[in-house]
Amino acid sequence: MKNDTAGRSASPAKVTTVKELEKKLAVMRKAQAVFAEYSQEQVDRIFYEAAMAANKARIPLAKMAVEETGMGVVEDKVIKNHFAAEYIYNAYRSTKTCGVIDEDPVAGVRKLAEPIGLIAAVIPTTNPTSTAIFKTLICLKTRNAIILSPHPRAKASTIEAARIVYEAAVKAGAPRDIIGWIDEPSLDMTNLVMRDSDCILATGGPGMVHAAYSSGKPALGVGAGNVPAIIDSSADVRMAVNSIIHSKTFDNGMICASEQSVTVLSDVYDEAKKEFEARGCYFLSEKETRKVGRTILINGSLNARIVGQKAADIARMAGVEVPERTKVLIGEVTSTKISEPFAHEKLSPVLAMYRADTFEKALDIAESLVMDGGPGHTASLFIDPAEKEKILAHAERMKTCRIVINMPSSHGGIGDLYNFKLTPSLTLGCGSWGGNSISHNVGVMDLLNIKTVVERRENMLWLRVPEKVYFKRGCMPVALDELGTVMHKKRCFIVTDSFLYKNGYVKPIEEKLDQMGIQHTCFYDVTPDPTLQCAKEGLKQMVSFEPDVIIALGGGSPMDAGKIMWVMYEHPDVNFEDMAMDFMDIRKRIYVYPEMGKKAYFVAIPTSAGTGSEVTPFAIITDAETGTKWPLADYELMPDMAIVDADNMMNQPKGLTSASGIDVMTHALEAYVSVMATDMTDGIALKATKLVFDYLPSAYENGAKDPIAREHMALAATLAGEAFANAFLGVNHSMAHKLGAYHHIPHGVANALLLTYVMRYNANPVPVKMGTFPQYQYPHALERYCEVARYNGVSGKSDEEVFDRLIEKLEDLKKKIGIPASIQEWGVKEEDFLATLDEMTENAFNDQCTGANPRYPLMSEIRQLYLLAYYGKDTREAGKI
Amino acid sequence: MAERIILEETSNKTVFREGNVIVKEYIPSHPKENAFNEAYIHACVEACGLSIPKILSVAPSGGGWALSIEYVEGETLEQLIQEHPGNVEEYLEKLVEIQLEVGSYRVPQLRNTITKMDQVINSLTEVSASTRYELRQRLHGMKRHSKLCHGDFVPSNVIIREDGSYCVIDWAHATSGNAGADAAITYLRFCLEGREWADQYLHIFCEKADMAIQYVQKWMPIVAAAQLAKHKADEKELLTRWISVAEYQ
Repeated sequence: MKNDTAGRSASPAKVTTVKELEKKLAVMRKAQAVFAEYSQEQVDRIFYEAAMAANKARIPLAKMAVEETGMGVVEDKVIKNHFAAEYIYNAYRSTKTCGVIDEDPVAGVRKLAEPIGLIAAVIPTTNPTSTAIFKTLICLKTRNAIILSPHPRAKASTIEAARIVYEAAVKAGAPRDIIGWIDEPSLDMTNLVMRDSDCILATGGPGMVHAAYSSGKPALGVGAGNVPAIIDSSADVRMAVNSIIHSKTFDNGMICASEQSVTVLSDVYDEAKKEFEARGCYFLSEKETRKVGRTILINGSLNARIVGQKAADIARMAGVEVPERTKVLIGEVTSTKISEPFAHEKLSPVLAMYRADTFEKALDIAESLVMDGGPGHTASLFIDPAEKEKILAHAERMKTCRIVINMPSSHGGIGDLYNFKLTPSLTLGCGSWGGNSISHNVGVMDLLNIKTVVERRENMLWLRVPEKVYFKRGCMPVALDELGTVMHKKRCFIVTDSFLYKNGYVKPIEEKLDQMGIQHTCFYDVTPDPTLQCAKEGLKQMVSFEPDVIIALGGGSPMDAGKIMWVMYEHPDVNFEDMAMDFMDIRKRIYVYPEMGKKAYFVAIPTSAGTGSEVTPFAIITDAETGTKWPLADYELMPDMAIVDADNMMNQPKGLTSASGIDVMTHALEAYVSVMATDMTDGIALKATKLVFDYLPSAYENGAKDPIAREHMALAATLAGEAFANAFLGVNHSMAHKLGAYHHIPHGVANALLLTYVMRYNANPVPVKMGTFPQYQYPHALERYCEVARYNGVSGKSDEEVFDRLIEKLEDLKKKIGIPASIQEWGVKEEDFLATLDEMTENAFNDQCTGANPRYPLMSEIRQLYLLAYYGKDTREAGKI
Repeated sequence: MAERIILEETSNKTVFREGNVIVKEYIPSHPKENAFNEAYIHACVEACGLSIPKILSVAPSGGGWALSIEYVEGETLEQLIQEHPGNVEEYLEKLVEIQLEVGSYRVPQLRNTITKMDQVINSLTEVSASTRYELRQRLHGMKRHSKLCHGDFVPSNVIIREDGSYCVIDWAHATSGNAGADAAITYLRFCLEGREWADQYLHIFCEKADMAIQYVQKWMPIVAAAQLAKHKADEKELLTRWISVAEYQ
């Protein structure tokens, strides 16, 4: 180490052996740890001073590089150094690279930038000083330490460039040893540096890039280029030719983004050739082309002696006489095969020129040159900018990460000179085509670890109900009036089942429509568990009738069938398989439902107090041919108008009152404990439970004799429908769906047989797994059930006691309305039940309703619940699952 | 005792035949470990099942060490080429076929080609540190393979018996590694000897091996550098030219 004079000098210890290198790396790591604590302000000060110092030294550094390597042009290297200092500084002067660099408080996202640590930089001979400036500057900006491994042929100039940046940085306050270099480079030390760093910035040939990637450390490596330029018939030929000459002669052709060939369309070939000649390029004769070709390559590899040399000198080596001021040697060739020396990357002012009859042929040539010589690097095109299609076709064909249009590619590829949105860089990613991990121009963002801090946020929630919900006994004719007087509908299609039709339920509707002069027809063949085939049958009639309003009258089946016919009528090409695809979140589903209501307005009129389908976005349809059930769910399926008139429900049979009534209770309870329950749905669900508790027994017992009870039950069903249309259901319904399907149990009864078991199961405060939804913060189904209980007048000393009493109250209700005590008691044979148990379990688990359940159920748990409910065991057993 | 027939005399060894035994007698300054290493390599290859003559002994002889190896009856491909110059293509095809068959064997005990080349190049004094750096960087960029490589696979080292079967001799330079390197060495030997069918060999090899010619060419500067270590003055010009290539960057 040189003696410090008054501690002022920052001259670091020399690194000439592996031992010294290991010591150096240790010191640098310590320096980096200190640097990592610097503020943005401190870093920006250092970045500024370092860039300034490099900029000031650009001419001596350029001279040194040319002198040492014997390659290139001093004046062009001055530009490269200038670019590396000024353009890089300018690009990142206000870029945040320390601490919080991005923040969105509303979304709860914050991004923090941290340095990577110690960066190993391999520096090539072709751009030794500019690459050193570039890499040291971007490391300073990102608080990384950087150790440079120069090429032995360019070590003095590389080290000098690094030293200048280093000393300026230290003077501006950077820790000592934040930049280091190997004084006597060897391959072993280069490999050691790569192995012991945190990340490698490897600029170099395939060997170096391979070594970098093999080191086991993340590497930003770049590879060879073989840039093909095309001059299209539409191009400004003079600009094109002079751009290529400008680029090709830049630093004697040593920039890897420099054109290696030009393919000219036939119709402008002579013009281009004349321009090349007029501007000092030399067209080699056939014989001369062969001579130069033999000089370019040795055994298929590039002759080191021509790299970065003047055209005239290269010609001389080949035994060809050309004017001393010749700018570029051009060989007119036809083959793009590797046996053609001109088809290779030449790193010198030697250019291949191809002729193409069509643009397509030109693309073939360019593509082949890229794939054989420089996949991933850069391609160039000269063309009329109005030729958008050709430009796109070219971009699609070239497997290169930079495609430069109408510019010298050497300058164009490094960015910010001929287009101001391409990141300025001297390290150009070549993507997977070039064996790289990156495909962009390397910049400061590649040298940072970005930490993303995200705070818990809750989803936006919603309450969606039909545009119009009309209710009150006797409201139907009043509500229907709107179809004529307000909406001026002309043609109405009624969907119902044969029972309702034959028993005159459709008549009042038809009379009202007649009164208003609305034409109508009725499809009354909907069967329970409606099938796709049945819906298609109705659809046929619907299509020929061309309604502008559809009225679905009935229980769940006609309303569901009506919704399906409505979808198919509005959108004949829909695919049920896509529409029925299960989703985790209805807003993030893959399939987007088509918009409804363009052809017809949809009115739902329930005749039973149960499904709530008049206010829900759900419909189930069965494909009778395959037996597949398509459960459809989307707010597009929401009816436009619901008319809840208890007069339509007066004569429901007892069994239906019981089954659909307890279904309402299940809807309300599941919606209330759902992970998606909200204050909006809670009030609705609570009220529904109370109406069921208070009025279902009488509605069941007295039927039409207690119209008040009927009316309250009608509203309870709609309220519960509104609740679960927004908060969704749970595993009770998942299990009931399958139990009903496998053992022909009415849906409501199936729900009832499982209800108290599922409640006990959900109420377990220590579930194996809880449901996933941001606003469901911890398992709290027990508390939620107790809220329902207390709202319904149940009290007790503790939540557990209140809950027990709620269960008792429900059991009592079930008994009053004639629900059997177990599945077995309902009449399902044990052997049948057990034979289907595993299949039911898996299908129930997979049911769309499962996702909103407060407990995320395991399949084994569902199986246990089924068994308990089958044998009518004590519901407390379910609480232990 | 059988008559001693001298077959070859070089600066460091004399090869002679005594009845059914070939003796390779090294000069006293030839390192003992090299003689034993050669014998070891030979024994390893012998064990892999390839048809090669058996090594019989390593023993002191003439002040140095000598290897005794079985004599194999037949003509070398070199002799055949000399005798029937019109059939060169056929013999080259034979040469390549045998070379590829050798490459199908695995002898993991042998040193890897890359390791060996790296050592040779790193100790080269004939070229600058920069050139060594570039050559080694090129070498380190090669994938490590484990094919049996003869290291001097030339027609004079392949004996064809009367029944048409073959036998490969002289395993002193064998390594475990890359067939492309082995082909590059053969090609280099042909070029150094001024054989007009050198390129023909290369094309036959690449075709039969289904190998891109560039891959073999990538090895050429490396094998040329390794050859430079043998310090043969008349080879220097060609080898220096071969080495003078740039890596793309």
